[in-house]
Parts: sequence; C-alpha cells; structure tokens
Amino acid sequence: MHVDLVLNGELTAIECADNELILDVVRERLGLTGTKRSCDMEVCGSCTVLLDGLAASACTTLVAEADGKELVTIEGLSDGDELNPVQQAFVDHAAVQCGFCTPGMIMSVQALAMDHPDADDETISEYLSGTICRCTGYVKILEAARQVISE
Amino acid sequence: MRVAGRSEVRLDIVDKVTGAARYASDAVVPGMAHAALVRSTVGHGVLRGVDTAVALAAPGVHCVVTMADFPDVDPFYGEWVRDQPFLARDRVRFIGEPVAGVVADTEEHAHAAAALVVPDIEPLPVLGSAVESLAAADLVIHPDRASEDPELPNVCYRSSFEYGDVDAALAEATYVHDATYTFPAVYHYAMEPHAVLATWSSDGLDVISGTQQPFKVRADLARIFNVPLGQVRVRAPYVGGAYGSKGQSKYEPVTAAMARAAGRPVRLVISIGDAFHTVSRHHATIRMRTGIGPDGGIVGRDTVITYDTGAYADKGPRVARKGAYRAAGPYRIPNIRSVGLSVYSNRVPAGAFRGFSTPQVVWAGESAIDEIARHLGVDPLGYRRQHLKRRGEPFLGDDSPLDADLAEGLGVTAEALGWGSSVPTGRGRGLAVGVKDGGGGAARSEAEVRLHPDGSVEVLAATSELGQGAKTVMGQIAAEVLGCQLADVQVRLSDTAVTPFDRGTNASRSTIGVGAAVERAAEGVRRQVCQAAEEVLGISEGLILDGSDIVVGEHRQPLMELVCASRKLPPEEIGAYSATGFSGNPTGSGPLGAAAAFYEVGYSAAEVEVDPETGQVRISRFVSAADVGFAINPAACEGQDEGATVMGIGHTLLEELEFVDGELVNGTLVDYRVPRTTDLPDDFRSILIQNRDGPGPFGSKGAGEGGLLAVAPAIANAIADATGVRIRELPLTPERVWRAIQPVEPQES
Ligand code: FES
Ligand code: FES
Repeated sequence: MHVDLVLNGELTAIECADNELILDVVRERLGLTGTKRSCDMEVCGSCTVLLDGLAASACTTLVAEADGKELVTIEGLSDGDELNPVQQAFVDHAAVQCGFCTPGMIMSVQALAMDHPDADDETISEYLSGTICRCTGYVKILEAARQVISE
Repeated sequence: MRVAGRSEVRLDIVDKVTGAARYASDAVVPGMAHAALVRSTVGHGVLRGVDTAVALAAPGVHCVVTMADFPDVDPFYGEWVRDQPFLARDRVRFIGEPVAGVVADTEEHAHAAAALVVPDIEPLPVLGSAVESLAAADLVIHPDRASEDPELPNVCYRSSFEYGDVDAALAEATYVHDATYTFPAVYHYAMEPHAVLATWSSDGLDVISGTQQPFKVRADLARIFNVPLGQVRVRAPYVGGAYGSKGQSKYEPVTAAMARAAGRPVRLVISIGDAFHTVSRHHATIRMRTGIGPDGGIVGRDTVITYDTGAYADKGPRVARKGAYRAAGPYRIPNIRSVGLSVYSNRVPAGAFRGFSTPQVVWAGESAIDEIARHLGVDPLGYRRQHLKRRGEPFLGDDSPLDADLAEGLGVTAEALGWGSSVPTGRGRGLAVGVKDGGGGAARSEAEVRLHPDGSVEVLAATSELGQGAKTVMGQIAAEVLGCQLADVQVRLSDTAVTPFDRGTNASRSTIGVGAAVERAAEGVRRQVCQAAEEVLGISEGLILDGSDIVVGEHRQPLMELVCASRKLPPEEIGAYSATGFSGNPTGSGPLGAAAAFYEVGYSAAEVEVDPETGQVRISRFVSAADVGFAINPAACEGQDEGATVMGIGHTLLEELEFVDGELVNGTLVDYRVPRTTDLPDDFRSILIQNRDGPGPFGSKGAGEGGLLAVAPAIANAIADATGVRIRELPLTPERVWRAIQPVEPQES
C-alpha cells in the first residue's frame, strides 16, 4: 500500500505492506534507529513516537495509521545542533544512563508537556509510568520532566 | 581539582538524547544477513535430531545450522565450568535452549523459516528446581560431567569457608537463631536485548556485540573456532543496559558459527521474550544459624546457601563461591562456616546479576541480625553498630582490611531517615548494610593515552559503556591528570583491536582498574610534555593545557611549537605523545585467592506503611548511602545509587520469575512487573560518602552495586517494625504480606 505522511517535518511517501509497523519501517527501512525496540508489546514505551502530537507505540502502530498524519521520531526533535527543551532538560539533570529508554522517555515527556502543560508531580509520575527505565531509578528523569513543565 | 569531582556533562549524553547513539542492535554492514534461533520447547530431553529440510526451502533462507554442522569446533563455554554448547548437541536442558539457527535475507524470513524447523526430542523427566535436583539421585542433568560429590550428582560446584570452631560455638551459645530465607530468581531486563553482528574475512573474525566482557568473548571465540587471539576482534558499542546479563559469551559463539556457515555477515537480535530465557539471577535458599553469647555478642554463624544455577553453569560456580564468602557478613564473628552450592536444574541458566550472589546473603544476614536484636530487646541500629567490624579489620581471614567505617556510614544513613525520632502511626522503620568485596579478584587492566600536537587527547580504554558513565569518568581522569579540558578529550572504548586489555566491565571494577590504568597512562604523557617544557623553556612546574596551548605560569604557547622544538621536526612530522598504563589488583592471598581491591558498601534505611486490608507496602521514605571513596562524577554516582536502589525495590516488592516444572510462566513484561515511576518511595534520598579512602584514582572506589545490596532486608525489617510480622521470603507482594499479617487462628488439636 501507499502511505503519505509528514515525517520529522518532511513529506514522505512510503510503499509498504498492510501489516507493517511504524517501528520496523523507521528503523529498518528509513534508517532512523533512534526509536528503540524493547518489549515489542506496548508495555515499555521505548518505541514511543508522536503521531499528530500524541504519544504512540511504534511497535504496535501500523504505518497505515500514519497516513495523512504527522509523525515525529526522536531524530525530529532537535533543530540541527540545538537541543529541544526536553532533550536539554535530560542533559541538565543527567537523566540518562544506558540511553536505551531515553528516546522513548523524551518523546513521552514531550507528549506530557503538550497534553498537560500544568501537570503536578503526581500527574507527571502517573503519565510516565507507561515508560520503563531500568537504569536510572527515575529520580533524575522526573526532575527533568518537572523542569520541562515549569518552563 | 579542576575536572574530577564535578558532575561534568556526560560525553555520551548528546548522542543519547538525540537518538544518534548506536547500539549493537542498530549495527549494519553491507551484505549482512539476519538470523533467528530455534529454541527447545522441551525442558529436558534427548535431542535425537533436527529436521531442517522444510525450513531450508523457505523463502530467503541462506542456511539452517545445527550442531551437526560444526564437527570441528569445541562448542562449550562457561566460567570455571565449561558446559554450555552454543547449540544443543545431544540433550536439551531448558525451555528456550537454542537447538538450531536460521540465516535469511530478512529478519522476517529468518523467523518464518525458524518456525519450520522440527527438533526431534525425546523428553526426560524435568528437574524443576534445585530442591528437586538435590533429591534426584538417578536423574542427572549433566551425566557426562562428574560431580564433586557422587551423592549429589546435580551439584555443579561447591565452595566452603571455615574459621574457628562453629559447632562448639553454637553448642555453647545462650541463644541460637536459626532461620531459612529465600530469594527469588529475577530477570535483568536490560532494555536492549542481546544483539551480535559477526563477520568473517581474511582479517579473521569481527564481532560487534553489546557485551560487558569483550576480551573474555574474544578468548572464548578464539578457543571455540580455533583461531589466534590476534585474528578475533570484538567491539562493544553503546550497550543498552546489562547489569551482569551481558558478561562472558552469550550469543557471540552461535552468531559467529552462523556467519561462518552462511559465508556472509550475520546479525542476530533476540527478542525480550528470548532474553528472559537467556540468563537470570540465582534463586537462593539460605539457611543461617547464628549463635549469641551471654553478653549479646555474636559467637558463631553457620550458613548453607543453595543457588539454583539452572541448566548451565554460566557464572554459577563463582556466584556460589563469592556468596559463601560474603555470607560471613560484616560483623565481628569469631567462628564462621559457610557453604555455597551451585545446583543444576532444568531452568533458565542463572549467572551474574548486579551484586553477584550478595543480595541473597545480605537478605538473610541483615534480616537475621534484626530478628536477633529484636529478640534481645535492643535497638537494631545500636546492636549493629556495636558488632560491626571496624575500619582496618579484615573482612574474613587474611583478606584486605576494611576500607570503610561501617558503623559511621550506617549512622549517617539512619540519621537521614530520622532514626530514633517518633514513627508516624501505622508505619515502621528498618535498616540494613551490605558489604561486598569489590573488583572481582586479581586482574590486569591496561589503557593508553595520546596527546596530539593540537592539544586534543585520545583515551583508549576497554571499558564497555553500559550506562554507568565510564566514557565520561575515564575522560575526567585523563583531563585531571593532564591538566586539560574534558572537552578536548575523546574516549574510545571497548574494541579489542584498538583498546588495550581489560578483563571486563563487571564487579564495579572499571574505575579502580581501568581508571587507574588511564591515570598512569596520562601521568606518562604529562611527564613527556613536562620534560619537553623543561628542555625548551626551562620550566614545567604547574603546566596545564588549554585547548591547543600549553600554559606554564605566565607563559603561553601552542603545544605544537613546543613539540616541534623539542623533537626538532616540522609540524606535520612530529607525531604525538603517548603512553600506556596498567594496574593490577593488590597482591596478597586472601581467602578468595586474591585480596579484595576495595569493599563496596551500601546502606539502606526505609520507612514503610503496610495496608492491613490489601497487604500493599508503601515506601514512604527511603535513604540510600553509597561509600564511593571519591565521586569523580557525583551525578553519575548518584544515578548509579538511585538506579541500584530502585532495581532492589523490584526484587523486594515486585519481581519473581515463576517456574512450573522448569517452564518459565511469566516471561513477558506484562506478567513480570519491573519498577515504574509510581513504585518509587514517596521521599527518596541518596547520599554519597566520600573519605577518599579507595584504591582508585583520587581515592575513589568502585560503585554501582552497593545501592542494591541492602534494600530488601531494610524494607522487610521496616515491615516487621510496623506489623510485628517477619517475612523471610521475597518478593514481599501484597498477597504474601497480607497472608503473613493475618491473625493466627487458634489451632485445633
Ligand atoms: S517496544 Fe514498543 S512499547 Fe516496548
Ligand atoms: S537509561 Fe538505561 S533504561 Fe533508561
């Protein structure tokens, strides 16, 4: 099938099978390996992308569903060498260790900030409970998220 | 200090926040094919053959391999006990064991064809746990390997330590505390599953793998395929979490074998489901008897630890040995006997996992000491402080003297929790201390530092960047010694063809091992620069590097000019200053054969609230303290401590791999719950203790495991404080806690 979408700001046409998932297409076909595959069953959040501004699991979302929409992956967040505010907050708070959860985590915080610009601590924690990090113990990730919200 | 001791921005962080960071599972080379493994669905059986014909004819398939395709190789690996073949040979020993491999043009084709491979397995009775294996006299999991104890044919390894006369001490004790504790098998869940890319060429074998131990993997591959070390190259790019699960060989041998058979580069990326079936932390049963004298002193301790090592040894023998050793605990006890058993079963193999055997024995020891203090009616903090070993006393036997003040560290932790102040109603407090000999035994680490004439620096150090921040810390060490900016340092990690030797990124050893080698290499380079400055300028005192310049006192000059003047060569011909450095763990014998390089100490203190209706445990406050000697990068040290603590909360409250007849029944992230943001303590503090008393650069010690060691007993002790009920089995799930706190029904006779 044929899918037209705006991928990281660029009009993109993709020929794919009906059952192809966003994760496979961006990673294998388009070489955008920043989006990570871990659980592969919509539990861990490491494959989180933004579809029309909403967080979506690339491991369970069909490319077909992106037809006519705007898809943003981690590679589409920064503007050249300029980090976006969420990325900068992760840097400021050393909220990264192995980095494997980081792209998904950053996309989740980005979605959180758009969804709940006034989120309190509890909302932040609830919202991010869908994205697993096995390294950091979340302390610095939550600090980074609070910085984003307060800015 | 200018660079060390600061929370410098991690050198890998921009790569990681922008998605540019490359992991083994992202690696691609031209002409690469994809692999999938066929795994046993039978827990124990005789492998009579594998029918590959249909799979071979499937679309896109290059080859299908079984062990029959490799008559010329020695397929076994494992630490101390080499019993695991990279594909099953004549037996299968756990569900999930690889029996065949498929190489195809795409991952999808490889998986589709793998489903068409038919192993012919004659089932044998399954030994579903170490308990069953110990009871089975005539069913042997590794019949071709002699057990040390013919009475117990499924014992993989046995280790014991004995000091003094334990039997006499316990006979004379006024009180003997005797209890059995269990610790669950748990899964690492490194978020990146294992991934390997192998290429054979006239240069030999080139492997890209997310491994913690590239040199160990290189040695395994050289032996298995009978190729010289110099023709095997192992590179570890960024590793997406490891925690022990990516040590020694895992999928490197089978991937190299498939690449050889396919005659092209092959990449294998396993799924998380398969990672669940790769390696775990050992389930352990710990029986501990502790004798108390008339004055309350601890007169003897007798411990037997049974570690379920699953189907293959992996690092199980070393786990049993270290566990037996560490079961002695950090208290002054004159009579000690510990036995550690590593026992085979038809479960997923168990191996290294952050803390390496220690969380299990600290769970027992620190629960027991609390029970004893409560029995004696004394304050658990005071009792511990009174009996903890002092700085300078050996941990056990003639091992290195303790390099930490345990009573003080525990005191700081307890104070931060408010120990001694009134406890809010419905809550309880508990604390615990864990000590682990750090560094992992004697090993050499080497590193190289180069200073180029434009002032840029390269550090070559074979540490794997698992997330712990090694890249940054190695850079900070070099920058500190050379007197340059961190921004001018490039750190190149883990490539056996480029970086000098190191044993591996494990046992919290990189900072004190590789870090010390980097420090010495950098000192070597600095000496060369200073010598040149002396020759050319007549001074070198206080020399620093500032970008491409050197600065000595008031004098500033391009480094390039200095090098040219000293070497009497034009700029394009002058080369670089370079030096290698090495370090070895301290010599000396010690009960483990090499003296501990340092002691990794973690303190935990918890305040909890137990819901009497549901058994749910809420951690209202938690304090963790890590004795790091000196924090070269404090934010990274804190991150390690926070992460280790939360991982510890996982095995304390949530995590357990459940096996039924050897079959893992909760091997998905839906059924196996790891901590999420909402599982954090309401209030969580992490403290770094820094006395500059470690053997590493600037007085540092290793870190990263300590935070995990004492979490479970601290929480269980707090639950006992809140409810009066002692639970000796982990995890402390709501159901288990609820059952334990039900009032005891009067027994009918
Ligand atoms: S990989 Fe998609 S949610 Fe885990
Ligand atoms: S940084 Fe490793 S999983 Fe989050």
